[in-house]
Amino acid sequence: MSGMKRRYDYEEEDGYRDFRPRYSKRQRLPPVVQLCKDMLPDIRTIGESVKAFEEDIKFLSEAIINEFGNDEYFNNALLSTFNALILEQPHKQPAIALLTIVVNSGNPAAGKSVINYFYEKLQHLLDMTVVDDFEVTSNETGPWNKIKLTLRFLSLLSPVITLTELTNVYQRLFELAVQLNRSSDANTRNPLSEAIYTNTLLNIPYLFFFNKEDETLRTNVEDLIQYAESNYEVKTVDLSLTKEYNKNLPYEPVQWVQIVLSNVKNALANDMEELKNLFPDYQNLLPTSIEQQMFNDPLTIPEFEKLLPFSGLDKGLGSVDSMWKTPRTAFQVYLPNVVGDFSTVVPITTYTGMLFDDIIVDIVESLEFNRHEVARQVVTLDLYFKPGIFTEPGLSIAQLLVQHNEMPELSTYKIEDLAIENILGLIFKLPTVTQSFAYFYTLLVEICQNSPKAIAPVFGRAFRLFYNNLDNMDHELKMRYLDWFSIQMSNFNFSWKWNEWEQDSIAFSKSFYNPKITFAKNLIRKELRLTSNRPDVEDSLTPEFKQYLDASYISKDQLASYYQSFFEGFSFDPEVIKDNDLLFKNEVFPFHEKVQLILDYIHKQPLEKNISELESLLEDIKSAHGDKIPDFNRFTVTLLIQALVYSGNRSLSHANKYISDAKSDLVTILEKMEVPPEVKEQWIIEAVIRYWNCNSQNGFLIVDSFKHSELVTAKSILTFSLTDLNGQNLGLVDATSIESTFRTLTELALQQASDISVFEFVFERLLEIINDTVSQLGTNEEIVAPSVDNETMLDVDELARLDLIWKYESAVGFIKSILRKYSDEYSVLLDKFSAGLEQAVPHEPTRKQLDQWFNEIREL
Amino acid sequence: MSLAEFDELRWDHSCDRLDVPSNYLKRKARKTPGGLEELRKSMTSATIYVGNLSFYTSEEQLYELFSKCGSIEKIIMGLDRFKFTPCGFCFIIYQTPQEALAALKYLSKTKLDDREITIDLDPGFEEGRQFGRGKNGGQVSDELRFEFDASRGGFYVPLENRIGAVNHFGARRIRDPHKNHHHHHHGHHHHHGQPHAAAAKVNPMEVEEELDSYIPGQ
Repeated sequence: MSGMKRRYDYEEEDGYRDFRPRYSKRQRLPPVVQLCKDMLPDIRTIGESVKAFEEDIKFLSEAIINEFGNDEYFNNALLSTFNALILEQPHKQPAIALLTIVVNSGNPAAGKSVINYFYEKLQHLLDMTVVDDFEVTSNETGPWNKIKLTLRFLSLLSPVITLTELTNVYQRLFELAVQLNRSSDANTRNPLSEAIYTNTLLNIPYLFFFNKEDETLRTNVEDLIQYAESNYEVKTVDLSLTKEYNKNLPYEPVQWVQIVLSNVKNALANDMEELKNLFPDYQNLLPTSIEQQMFNDPLTIPEFEKLLPFSGLDKGLGSVDSMWKTPRTAFQVYLPNVVGDFSTVVPITTYTGMLFDDIIVDIVESLEFNRHEVARQVVTLDLYFKPGIFTEPGLSIAQLLVQHNEMPELSTYKIEDLAIENILGLIFKLPTVTQSFAYFYTLLVEICQNSPKAIAPVFGRAFRLFYNNLDNMDHELKMRYLDWFSIQMSNFNFSWKWNEWEQDSIAFSKSFYNPKITFAKNLIRKELRLTSNRPDVEDSLTPEFKQYLDASYISKDQLASYYQSFFEGFSFDPEVIKDNDLLFKNEVFPFHEKVQLILDYIHKQPLEKNISELESLLEDIKSAHGDKIPDFNRFTVTLLIQALVYSGNRSLSHANKYISDAKSDLVTILEKMEVPPEVKEQWIIEAVIRYWNCNSQNGFLIVDSFKHSELVTAKSILTFSLTDLNGQNLGLVDATSIESTFRTLTELALQQASDISVFEFVFERLLEIINDTVSQLGTNEEIVAPSVDNETMLDVDELARLDLIWKYESAVGFIKSILRKYSDEYSVLLDKFSAGLEQAVPHEPTRKQLDQWFNEIREL
Repeated sequence: MSLAEFDELRWDHSCDRLDVPSNYLKRKARKTPGGLEELRKSMTSATIYVGNLSFYTSEEQLYELFSKCGSIEKIIMGLDRFKFTPCGFCFIIYQTPQEALAALKYLSKTKLDDREITIDLDPGFEEGRQFGRGKNGGQVSDELRFEFDASRGGFYVPLENRIGAVNHFGARRIRDPHKNHHHHHHGHHHHHGQPHAAAAKVNPMEVEEELDSYIPGQ
């Protein structure tokens, strides 16, 4: 059949020609599979259209009433779909529950199957909590989190489940939480008990979703709450190591476990006023006749002794479960009374606020395999709750201010703010993040792409809060902020209103350690690394910020004196130093022809190389010009390394290739030098980083290749990074160096038998920097950077003193980050550190701080 | 040919997974003997194919972005097989298969150098695959492309072919497009980005100030 004819037969307008059935050539699906294909997607999207909701419930329930029990394939597919929605999109639980209740009245056997399917799931999940080799995938939120969600669903079904069956599950979970909580002393928290206690309490209001008037239920719930309140002792453990800000916290951190009880009690108070304003009213959709169901078997809760070893939640149970390992706190970005005398997010100190946070985190974590779906769901959550909780989606702050003035009774909560605040909370989660950063960053980019006008200003307010608090922000979080910001910018043409921050630049541009200047520099350089079109970044900057476009790692003068330091009685014009070029082949150097021959040698095929050729070239330079080169070994190493790096300057792969080809020659030459290996390694690293002075990221990545070729050690890299050059320590402020340090340490930590001495070295090196800075500051008092007004002009001395304070804070912050991030490694060293602390740290306030962190490491 | 687990309808999630082979890969697998094995290998190879890159995107830029999903073992740039210059694709090999799947889930369709990059699974790199397979050395997709794309070598189809030998009226409408484009870019330094990028870009400073009104790309 020709294509022309086919098109003719199936022309859409020509309905009457449509005599031929439209079967595709592909095999047809069995009817039951086709049924699932038609019906289950509608269940997945239930409630997304509020208008169609009532009809959807009607049609879907009728279909399920008719089909359920006829075919195993359908039953399983339906139950799997329900289960997936309950665990992955918990906001849709009430809709699924409503569907189940309606089905139950029309087909009680189907209803019973659904209920007991989830009851069995609950049992299965409980069994999983004590399995040693529990398999964790990236979308696994953990058995305890799934227990929470499954119990929530069963609670929604309270009208059709014998009451005592349900409240009994609650009672037993609370008892377990209490028992676990009592297993440790008064000052030690038990993470699992906090998770169970909070999760279970958070579910209670769902018992009333379809069942507000049931008096017995009310009494039973009162008893449950009474039990929890009088038996569960909430422990207050305050960890400074996991705080997002080192000082001057922009908000008071709130732990979930401390407020959940009062949140739930308040929600139930006043005849459940809060709940009535929160949950949508589906009363009119409920069937008139109700068939009560019971659970098939009694529930078996894991034995306390078996559970105890798992109760630290540190064995990799899944993303959300492991968030309880350290006290679960609410991360806040959109603080109240910033834009007006109101809040744009529902306060965590209400049940509504806490529930939304809980649901958003569950969606983001469990659906990590489809960020497009997450981006859509989290900003439309309001559809699943009572209208009026949030203001109109996409309302700008300016409009909100107007509205609030005119009608103060209307809600000021923005669903966008709430969703983004929670995602940012996951990005900024300490001590560890639950997913790779890329997920959260691109999720935010996606949300912004979907409606830039509504979302971008929400990001803008977050950027500003973080920027304004950079002086106090945790060291590691500054890097995450930088990463997120740069990704966002690179996805949106790098446009940012830099003029807002100009005053800071004017005031502090001469500072080396000022957190805001450091941030701006690092951000601009990161942006440049993300684009091949430099003008995109250049054009986005205001003139004040163009000074930071020069991405040089050290200054031109410093670079010139580095190269000059190889020679005595010979000097050259620093102007000949060019970016990404081999200096020594320049004609100003009398040995430049030999250098060219060395380059030719490097480019030879491995089989054509004979090291004696290379050695004789070096010998020639030495005999002719050795008198001008006092340390010929250092020169040799630098020349060879830079020649290699120059040869491989087209890309990282090229560099890798040249390094691995030259490895054996290098080893031979290095071995003949009677110089300590650590000195030679410093020469190598310095040669690479100075060669790539215009792009230190390349430099550090190439240094990594030298490490992988075993020509330099991790310790040498860290030594280099954390060494001062004229009082300036780039390892504390430059993002490429900081990333290299974290990369190096993380790689070590991942090795089976990680070398603890390197971790010890970094800690001690940072202490040296701190001690040195303290003695320059000459104080015994606590050192806290004052907040400096960017309007005042600082004189040179004052700025120098401030810079020392910022340096001190950077180094202390760095220690905080590594102690936390590598707590497993450092906990081995703690006794040693504690014993030597008095000696090692003369400055008492620093000592006290370190001592506190040492104690906290044991909690991580 | 049936692709076994890759054809199965699954109901264990509430929406599709993004870490699965693309339809393109599945179509190809259906047509090739051993295609199913290749697909299975691509789930565990720790290797991804990245496409729709600008010719100007460097390995270092790729590193900056893709290292956010995991530790990169190696980046292999796709090269024009005659000119040995980048021709708009690359392979990235991670240390673990999970990291490669993460890149597929999290980074596909994000922007790099103002282009939406495409990511697909790959059964594993073999020598020779780094070269474009088009008859002129680059990627076949570019040879099928009709429009101008500044960051992928401009026009591929030569002018006479684009306007056609018969349709003379077409020639009048897009008269001398090379020259036109040149003008367009004149004031924009050596702008390599997509042509529309320059046009859509408005200086954010010129947008009227409001307390918190960061709107990207405006």
